[in-house]
Amino acid sequence: MFNKMVSYKYPRNLLMLFELLALFLLFIYSKDNLNKFTFIYGIGLILIVYVSNFLLLRISTGDTYIFLIVTMLISIGLIMIYRIDPLLGIKQILWIGMGIFIFFLTYLVFKNIKGWEEWTYFYGIGSIILFIITLLFGSRIRGAINWISIGGLSIQPSEIIKLLTIFLIASYYTRYEHFKKQKYGSYYLIATTYLFILFLFLQRDLGTVLILYTLFIALQFIYEENRRLILYNLLFSIVSGFLGYLLFPHVRIRFETWLNPWKYIDNKGYQITQSLFAIAEGGFFGTGLGLGHPDFIPEVHTDFIFSAICEEMGIFTGMGIIMLFLILVYRGFKIGINQKIKFYRIVAIGISILFGIQSFIIFGGVLKMIPLTGITIPFVSYGGSSMLSSFIALGILQVASEELDFEEAKDG
Amino acid sequence: MDKEIKRIITVLTAICILFVSLMAYLTYFQIFKAESVKMNSYNKRLWINEEKILRGSIIDRNGKILAYSEKVDDTYKRFYNYGNLYSHIIGYSYREYGKAGLELEYNNTLLNISESTALNELKNIVLPNTEGNTLKLTIDHHLQEYSRNLLKGHKGSIVAMNPTTGEIYAMVSLPDFNPTNLKEDWKNIVEDENSPLLNRATSGLYTPGSTFKVLTAIAAIEKKDLDREYECTGSANIDGYILKDYDGKPHGKLNLEEALVKSCNTYFGEKGVIIGKDALGEVAERFLVNKKIDFDLPVSKSSFPYKDNLGETDIAAASIGQGKLLMTPLNMALIASGIANKGDIVKPILVKEVISPEGKVLRNNQPQILTKAVDIFTANEVKNMMVESVKRGTSRNASIKNVRVAGKTGTAENPSGKSHAWFIGFAPAEEPKIALAVVLEEEGSTGGKAAAPIARNIIIEALNTIK
Repeated sequence: MFNKMVSYKYPRNLLMLFELLALFLLFIYSKDNLNKFTFIYGIGLILIVYVSNFLLLRISTGDTYIFLIVTMLISIGLIMIYRIDPLLGIKQILWIGMGIFIFFLTYLVFKNIKGWEEWTYFYGIGSIILFIITLLFGSRIRGAINWISIGGLSIQPSEIIKLLTIFLIASYYTRYEHFKKQKYGSYYLIATTYLFILFLFLQRDLGTVLILYTLFIALQFIYEENRRLILYNLLFSIVSGFLGYLLFPHVRIRFETWLNPWKYIDNKGYQITQSLFAIAEGGFFGTGLGLGHPDFIPEVHTDFIFSAICEEMGIFTGMGIIMLFLILVYRGFKIGINQKIKFYRIVAIGISILFGIQSFIIFGGVLKMIPLTGITIPFVSYGGSSMLSSFIALGILQVASEELDFEEAKDG
Repeated sequence: MDKEIKRIITVLTAICILFVSLMAYLTYFQIFKAESVKMNSYNKRLWINEEKILRGSIIDRNGKILAYSEKVDDTYKRFYNYGNLYSHIIGYSYREYGKAGLELEYNNTLLNISESTALNELKNIVLPNTEGNTLKLTIDHHLQEYSRNLLKGHKGSIVAMNPTTGEIYAMVSLPDFNPTNLKEDWKNIVEDENSPLLNRATSGLYTPGSTFKVLTAIAAIEKKDLDREYECTGSANIDGYILKDYDGKPHGKLNLEEALVKSCNTYFGEKGVIIGKDALGEVAERFLVNKKIDFDLPVSKSSFPYKDNLGETDIAAASIGQGKLLMTPLNMALIASGIANKGDIVKPILVKEVISPEGKVLRNNQPQILTKAVDIFTANEVKNMMVESVKRGTSRNASIKNVRVAGKTGTAENPSGKSHAWFIGFAPAEEPKIALAVVLEEEGSTGGKAAAPIARNIIIEALNTIK
């Protein structure tokens, strides 16, 4: 047993080694406000991660690497968040613990309950209700209305809506024949999607607009039989993007600060330039944990966590994170291709696209490769809503990675 | 293959391309962009130390405070007590305009920060320093102020130093600027065609004129078989070019000493051709021409391209300090101080001591011989000629009652049409305490008339006041 524990052949042992080393560095860094709770939390987290990786091997017959990749991502993210603000770090540990619990719960629920593909209308109407609630009760944070608070707890409904959209599209294309028989049936999905995008525009949540739209176009590209519809959609998106630029000042600002943030360095371009300073300062190997100044970047623990990681751990770690996402997306697609049940196949690919596109948008944004839209990196950024919804998605992906024995619903 | 699978793989490929392009862009950014991005003045990392650490003071050799920092509304503000007086020595330190002078060269010392290694950073976290080191200069505030007042109204530079220790007592460069009002004046300063930002003492390159004859004289002494006698007719034909003496007056029969005392152009021109460019160039290089001078501020190289294909006319011109020669005032002061110091040139120093916030002397710059330029006999021989020049020659205006001054004037023709007025020298000749170089740029007058009296006053003041 002990030999097995220290063997490098098991990735979970390497992961534990990484976590222990990072924890050690963190303790040196923050030894002034170190207390025994931090210590307990830290050790607790390592144990949870180790045990859940171990447990998953026992209960799931599917892909065990996706969870491993994700635990690596949350470890790097957590180290950085703790380094920026120990209090947020402790909270993040709680979110992670909860997220892992939700992951197993989701896994069990989806493994044992059938018929998810039948609920097409529920997904659509549920999303619309969430949108309306957000618009009515939401509070505007950093320009976008995407938070609602319930009893002191802030949640971001758009995190749930992203998953509901994947389910909606998956169930629509699973029951494609059924919908095609109805009059205008082939336009139901497009109409709903554009309704969602309209809502998001009203909320000024441009990041989510981009994610949902890419998700929709990509899945449509794979499953839509009327190929001309895809072309129309693409054309429409170009036109509406242009109109959005002309009509909405907040869209214009994003573009202007992307083209030349240095011109607006002391106002609109402040965030992005601070992010570039951090990345530039880090170089290939970083300044070392605790030795940089990522705290100069506003919102560093959520949207700009990647810049902080690049500053203190170097762009090699940054590339490491990008590659972890690449492997995660690749395995997600592989899961999809191997899945025999259509609904789960679409869901798996949808979730993989979601992880991929969401991380790409924010990586590219903080690097100034594409215009910046404030969204979180799944599993890495600080935040409960994002952490929980990402773990739900991962749990579903885990189920999809297994050979499922229940019958596929008949089309129609 | 199934159409669906094919399309899935297309989407996967697209996502892969996106991720790879991210990594490519990140690498591109780090290799080509990062350096310039980092240096942006909005990057607070450049200023983090400034905001946390009380920048050290700068004091003169007698402890007079020249620059200091103080906390004003939670940030440290830099104060320059004497405005223009130290614009080229101390320089400035501003977020918007960067740093210059000692503020730049000694930035880490003033902030008490060591090389940024992980270990030092960790040490800094454990024991953060809050106060920088003080720089004690070799400058004598009184002499500095006095020298600047003498130079006021002219363009040019004065470098006064101790020839045996290398301590710079005064270093003036005009026009200058006020580092306190940099924000208001920046545009004018940058656009001023007289370049007030240029430290003429270390970076001004001037034709040296007759002051360079001191080096030609050394080359002549070293050439043992040279006939030192000469008959001056007021002009000489060198390779078709007519070299004239000042006002074309003949000096008659001359030896080397008389030639230097009277600053005879034809003598040095003709003898220089005989000495040859290589011997002359070699002497010049021993006196740091064409060499990098190690100093607390950046110094431009004086230049004498004697290795180029020089004709006899060019050699004759160089022998009298004209032609392709360019010298910095600091270099000229070092030539004077080398002759004063028995042929040994000492390293010029501006920062005498680095003092820690606790008052401990962290570094004490000791006198250091840079190079043995000439032997003591040659040095003494030239010294005596320079004494005679002050006693009865072109440098008469620098003579002082009861003090033996050694000196040499220069009036340098240059493209502007108005000659530079030069004086280099030292005093007292038997035991030199001060050596100096004075240059008045485009003065349009002779070194004897314009520069020598200024040098004289500085020597008197220095001998009377500096202990």
